[in-house]
Amino acid sequence: MAAMLKVDSLGISFGGLKAVDNFNVEIEKNELYGLIGPNGAGKTTVFNLLTGVYQPTSGQIVLGDDNITGLDCEAISKKGIARTFQNIRLFSQLSVLDNVKVGLHNRHEYSTLDGIFRTPKFRKIEREMDEKALSLLKVFDLDGFCNYKASNLPYGQQRKLEIARALATDPKLLLLDEPAAGMNPNETEELMNTIRLVRDKFDMTILLIEHDMKLVSGICDRLTVLNFGQVLKQGQTQDVLHDPEVVKAYLGD
Amino acid sequence: MDKVIAEKKKITRSNLITFAMVIIAYVIVEIMINTGNVSSLFKGLLVPLCIYSILAVSLNLVVGISGELSLGHAGFMCIGAFASSTWSMIMKSTSMPEGLRFFIAIVIGAVTAAFFGFLIGIPVLRLKGDYLAIVTLAFGEIIKNLVNALYFGIDANGLHFSLEDSMHLNMDGGTIIIKGAQGITGTPKNSNFTIGVILLLIVLFIVLNLINSRTGRAVMAIRDNRIAAESVGLNATKFKLLAFTISAAIAGVGGVLYAHNLSSLQALPKNFGYNQSIMILVFVVMGGIGNIRGSVVAAVVLTVLPELLRGLSDYRMLIYAVVLILMMLCTSAPSWIQYRERIMMSFGKNKKVNGKESN
Repeated sequence: MAAMLKVDSLGISFGGLKAVDNFNVEIEKNELYGLIGPNGAGKTTVFNLLTGVYQPTSGQIVLGDDNITGLDCEAISKKGIARTFQNIRLFSQLSVLDNVKVGLHNRHEYSTLDGIFRTPKFRKIEREMDEKALSLLKVFDLDGFCNYKASNLPYGQQRKLEIARALATDPKLLLLDEPAAGMNPNETEELMNTIRLVRDKFDMTILLIEHDMKLVSGICDRLTVLNFGQVLKQGQTQDVLHDPEVVKAYLGD
Repeated sequence: MDKVIAEKKKITRSNLITFAMVIIAYVIVEIMINTGNVSSLFKGLLVPLCIYSILAVSLNLVVGISGELSLGHAGFMCIGAFASSTWSMIMKSTSMPEGLRFFIAIVIGAVTAAFFGFLIGIPVLRLKGDYLAIVTLAFGEIIKNLVNALYFGIDANGLHFSLEDSMHLNMDGGTIIIKGAQGITGTPKNSNFTIGVILLLIVLFIVLNLINSRTGRAVMAIRDNRIAAESVGLNATKFKLLAFTISAAIAGVGGVLYAHNLSSLQALPKNFGYNQSIMILVFVVMGGIGNIRGSVVAAVVLTVLPELLRGLSDYRMLIYAVVLILMMLCTSAPSWIQYRERIMMSFGKNKKVNGKESN
């Protein structure tokens, strides 16, 4: 099977500090891949490199057949990487529906003038966007809340909305940054089902950062462990989790 | 889908109410004028009412929708005023029909202001919050002072500019149009209440439709969370610049109305200075940030009120300041909010008690 994402000796330095160094990963299509490591290991930095928030100082990133190294956020989103954030970042003043419609922005286009003069094209595409957004919300059982302000949703549903918004950009690869942070065991269980559902329903490749080992061992096919900006271990989930070095990195000597 | 359609209808209705309010107000005033119930003082206020409403809507696009505090809007108004007024002065002696001349003047005012808005927006929109406010404030003042020092004339050899005095124009006959601090005198008086209301309606149409479209959503998304907006593929700079440019163009239209309402136009601090910018901001804040209809209402109320309290007009800015502080306290200070809630609670309780009694 062809690799969906191929990262080759990726690195970034902030001044003298090598936050991520020589990071390699290959993710197959339709795989659920986990990225774990102690706090400060550089996991989110890897996400920021993949999505163009930071420009890497070395290495390259290939998505499908495209080399996307050095592109900015906008271009990378168009190439097909979408993400969620560790601390939820919704468009808090917009409605739940509009949050998803912003995600659809680059997939359903009409010009500003079409919008001002309410042309037939505007009406047609707005209707398409409404239908698409609602069908996405339905997957996450959020369609009943479509007119709510995003900031008024409960925490767990805000997480789901963030995933729905990311999926609206029609990505090839979905990055989830600590999706289970702040959730109780029941909510985590539900989230695991949601993530599996997303993978199967949208035929999605998913890379996720997580501290909750129950979630990681429950759904990830393979893992990479990051420590001090470097890859500590890579392989099948169960092998990696029982590796003495990994245990040591997490629990100390 | 039903819920979505219901929500859309709600927005459409709300927009229609805004248009209806303006039109009804216009009809009432026209009837009052025709029956002779309007004092000359109030008649003189009609065009300024439209001007300030337009400016308030324009600034609300930046402050409320785009989420950036701009304190330089009087500067864009100044550009619109002088650009259009210059055009009208040049064309005054030709046989161009007055209506067409004024229409082109409006377009020129809007386009010139938009151009400067775009130019200023490029460096300024890299900044955020207070810093952006300070820099736009400075740009507003720079524009006003530049225009105040500008000499501009036209003769058989073409256009002449100078920033020193009219001698440096090296004119060969011809006419001097902008005379530095004396500004432009003799601008044709084309503005009237009807045109003002029509322009206000057009501006409302553009802004309200813009907000409820793909572009408006993108601008608001960037306001709410720039990082997330970029992660879904929005170009934050582009949309911020777009909103800022459109806002500048609308402010320019306000300036055109202003210039063609008075026969003499000067770039005085009173007209286009800091206080003017702050006053527009006061309209926006009082009307509710992001609330377009509120901006119009606030602009009208706060323009009419000082005139009704003419005896106190010296204290106008003082009253503004006090009102602003009171508003902010009322809406954000925890102790005031508690106090308000207590009052609301006591009302609520009374209702409940009454309800029980009636049972």
